[in-house]
Amino acid sequence: MDRPRHRFLRWAAPLACCLAIDAMPCEGVADSSRIASVGGSLTEILYLLGAEKRIVAIDSTSNYPERAARFPSVGYVRALSAEGLLSMRPTLVLGEHDMGPPEALTAVLRAGVSVVRVAETHSAAGIVAKVRCVASILQLDAESLIARQLAPVVQQLARLRERAPVAEKSVAFLLESQDGAPIGAGRDTSGHGLLNMAVARNVLADFEGWKPVSAEALARRAPDFIVVTKRGVDLAGGVERLSARHFVRATPAGQSNRLVVVDGMEALGFGPRTLQAALRLARRLQTEG
Amino acid sequence: MPTSVVTSAPPPDAVPPRQLRVRAPAVVVLALALFVAIALALAGGAMPIALQDLFDAQAGLQRMVLAEIRAPRVALAGCVGGALALSGAALQGLFRNPLADPGLIGTSSGAALGAVAMIVIGGVLAIPRPVAPFALPLAAIAGAMLVTLFLYAFASRYGQFRIVTIVLVGIAVNALAGVGIGAFQYLSDDAQLRSLTFWMMGSFGRANWPSAAPAMFAVAIAATPLFFVARGLDLLQLGESEAYHLGVEVKRLKRRIVLCAAATVGAGVALTGIIGFVGLVVPHLVRLAIGADNRFVLPSAALLGAILTILSDLLARTAAAPAEIPVSLITSAIGAPFFLWLIARARPK
Repeated sequence: MDRPRHRFLRWAAPLACCLAIDAMPCEGVADSSRIASVGGSLTEILYLLGAEKRIVAIDSTSNYPERAARFPSVGYVRALSAEGLLSMRPTLVLGEHDMGPPEALTAVLRAGVSVVRVAETHSAAGIVAKVRCVASILQLDAESLIARQLAPVVQQLARLRERAPVAEKSVAFLLESQDGAPIGAGRDTSGHGLLNMAVARNVLADFEGWKPVSAEALARRAPDFIVVTKRGVDLAGGVERLSARHFVRATPAGQSNRLVVVDGMEALGFGPRTLQAALRLARRLQTEG
Repeated sequence: MPTSVVTSAPPPDAVPPRQLRVRAPAVVVLALALFVAIALALAGGAMPIALQDLFDAQAGLQRMVLAEIRAPRVALAGCVGGALALSGAALQGLFRNPLADPGLIGTSSGAALGAVAMIVIGGVLAIPRPVAPFALPLAAIAGAMLVTLFLYAFASRYGQFRIVTIVLVGIAVNALAGVGIGAFQYLSDDAQLRSLTFWMMGSFGRANWPSAAPAMFAVAIAATPLFFVARGLDLLQLGESEAYHLGVEVKRLKRRIVLCAAATVGAGVALTGIIGFVGLVVPHLVRLAIGADNRFVLPSAALLGAILTILSDLLARTAAAPAEIPVSLITSAIGAPFFLWLIARARPK
């Protein structure tokens, strides 16, 4: 991102007055006894760490594990309400990198509540770092847990990668949109990160962000596999219907029926279970290719 | 004006005596109702706050929530709601058309387009540091003015201010602004998109004193001249040439209303995003109750707009607490059926 734009955002004061909010990344907070968990991957990590007893509220993206639904929701991660958050009496608001709006968080901070954003990197190492970060914010030790549950998956992914350069598959990650052109994962997206982890080459990496992709553009990039979300398949009315769409049929993936369906939150949430999703995807690509 | 519903005002001195009796007390009643609405809105919210908490040393959090989160929010909601309704009333008078709502005729989308453009391309412009905090509101105001002037010029050139013309041109203008907004959304990166989405939904959730106070100040300055156009507006209902011969400087009046209404809407909308239908519904309710005399309609609309918006926001932040529902959802749920009813009523007899 170019600097001037960033500078402008900082100036546009009421909009972006949040720069002072974050504590030092991953530094332990004094009191983490009541946590508002604002982000699906963070709720998942709190359960993984066995810290679910400290949760007092979740957000609308926290849908895993399912029993987390018993906590009250403070709404969408990007449209939080200061008073709504404070009414749950949290001592810590633990949020994804993109929680907002900044004004609501400033108000929460002024009420003496710790507000911490956890950085997100779309890679296997990034997921482990996220778990480690949450653990250190809560002043818990997660190393044995990481060694037992996460490291083996990371190693398997690394081994697949070592073998991969010869047989790297070209893949496109598509979100079905209801009105026509599917949305493709370009560079710097969670979808791109997932494909990277699964030792695949993203054929849409020549543009940045999530963008609509035309059937022709997709055909020209000739992906061997197309990865879609369950939700996308449901929207299209089933895998057969989706496979019959012109933008799928015109690709090698469509012609040899290589449509891979993943759970959107699992694959793109970049919590611990995204590691499993990436491994499953990687194996599928290797065995079918 | 065969199809105009309620704005075809009789000259002020021909008002039936019953309405004369109702009008002045109506303003007082509305002012009292505004106080009640403010009290209700300050008392209600996700955090339970009791009256004795105000004097309880243990209840510092409650007092902070009340003073720094709820109070600026109620103030901003009242200010923006009043501004939208006042602008709506003035624009309806100017266009001699009951459907000239800032949302319907494109003033709000123009403001949105200006603000979205500033969020996305603002970084490329070298904006000097002292001006920067005002860049977004100014862009929103400029967008609102541009669209309103365009609509005015287009409608007066090609078809006068009949309901159909206004609504159709409004649809076209909204669509054009939508094209611009869509283009900027496509160009924006993830952080900008987040800012845009929040902004397009409309919410008073960003209100805190440092951001709300300048916005309210700007709205107040832009809105004040609108309180003084009542007489001219009343005469304008007779027709432009008639008003001119009765001594109204029609051109200046038009210019003043268009500029002030656009600036009011733009300044309000710049901090809260688009709040639908307040500017359409409120002036109508007022005219139904007290007649069309703008000396009373304008202040009453401002008061009722503030009341309606404050109560809508109260509902928005309590109905799904601790989460929030978009306030535009509520104002539109009230406004859209009302809009249909107006159209049904407006068919030629």
